[in-house]
Amino acid sequence: MEVAAATPWWVWPIALAAVGFLIGVVAVLAGIGGGVLFVPIVGSFFPFHLDFVRGAGLLFALAGTLAAGPQLLRSGMASLRLVMPLGLAGSICSVAGAIVGLNMAADLLQTLLGVLVIAIAVVIWRTRSSEGGIVDPDSLARLLKLEGKFLDPAAGTRIDWKTHRTLWGFVAFGAIGFLGGVFGLGAGFANVPALNLLMAAPLKVAVGSSALIISIINSSAAWVYIHRGAVLPLLVVPAILGVMLGSRLGARLLATVPAHVVRWLVIAAMLAAGTRALLRGTGLWI
Amino acid sequence: MQATYARWLDVATRVGFVISLAAFLVYVSGVAEPFVPLEQLPRLWSLSAAQYAAATGSPTGWGWLGMLGKADYLNLAAVALFGIVTLACYARIVPLLFAEGERLQAFIALAQVLVLAAAAAGFFTGGR
Repeated sequence: MEVAAATPWWVWPIALAAVGFLIGVVAVLAGIGGGVLFVPIVGSFFPFHLDFVRGAGLLFALAGTLAAGPQLLRSGMASLRLVMPLGLAGSICSVAGAIVGLNMAADLLQTLLGVLVIAIAVVIWRTRSSEGGIVDPDSLARLLKLEGKFLDPAAGTRIDWKTHRTLWGFVAFGAIGFLGGVFGLGAGFANVPALNLLMAAPLKVAVGSSALIISIINSSAAWVYIHRGAVLPLLVVPAILGVMLGSRLGARLLATVPAHVVRWLVIAAMLAAGTRALLRGTGLWI
Repeated sequence: MQATYARWLDVATRVGFVISLAAFLVYVSGVAEPFVPLEQLPRLWSLSAAQYAAATGSPTGWGWLGMLGKADYLNLAAVALFGIVTLACYARIVPLLFAEGERLQAFIALAQVLVLAAAAAGFFTGGR
């Protein structure tokens, strides 16, 4: 920490922009939200207090998903009708999570973050996708009209979709929102399986709608962090700029880089950051 | 309705990025003086948010709105714009949903507006 405090201030925004850039490249290639990488990596390897890292992480994920939203909505890959009720449940719980997170001791939070990030790495490793299909919607899904259609340009077909297990969907997004608020994470890693495997939305609709849900959930939690003074713009803006540029490069590399290589890279990075957070939180390696 | 939301999201996000970048350049270039000097930040950002506020006398809640003449709080205001984008988009589609006869969806959107507005207003910031 002494060395970190003696380092000129301008080194850190540059380092954050570089990390944001790398996260942007990898997140696009791996098909995950960058927010889930930002907090464990920056929280474990940078000198900032976890309060500021989580505040920056929420805005980092928020800016990225806001930028992606218009294209996802226009292409039909995100469904506002599907997003609205689930986003409402998630955003209410994310506010509760943010309040809980800002009242927890940093060591405990760092330890729990380590455990969570290692668990997420295992989830990413184990998760398989489903292409969805025609399911029999439950009464709540019918009431909320959780259905739609989109044109898949890759397959050249129009896909009509419906969802089911709506109540479990609300429970899942409530839990996802709460954890996102506590730890300042974007939660694409959990949104996509919840929409795809639990509620049977087609994978592309799940991925697109997940980004929009993150933008809603993080908007409410971000205000708790802003009002509590846990947002330092010097950390936020360079990271956002870095991830924007990195995402563009990632999108270009998408066709050439093998997906399984990137997937293992993400899992390795998360295991390393999770272990570091765990050791830091338990006082074994400060 | 979805197309309207996308259009508003697109414009609001672009405006947010441009303003954030401009405010950041003002901040780091030293054109305007920050409340907390940049050189002091490496000794302060390892403190918790509550300790940082106590050590620097920084405001919490909406107190920062009165300090927009300081470069760091001008930059915070610019970043906070990202937190308003979703609220603005939802507020725009509520009347559209009512006009289309989608009353349940309209009430869900209205509830989301209220949650976001309450969060932005600082109703949920109690605690330590």
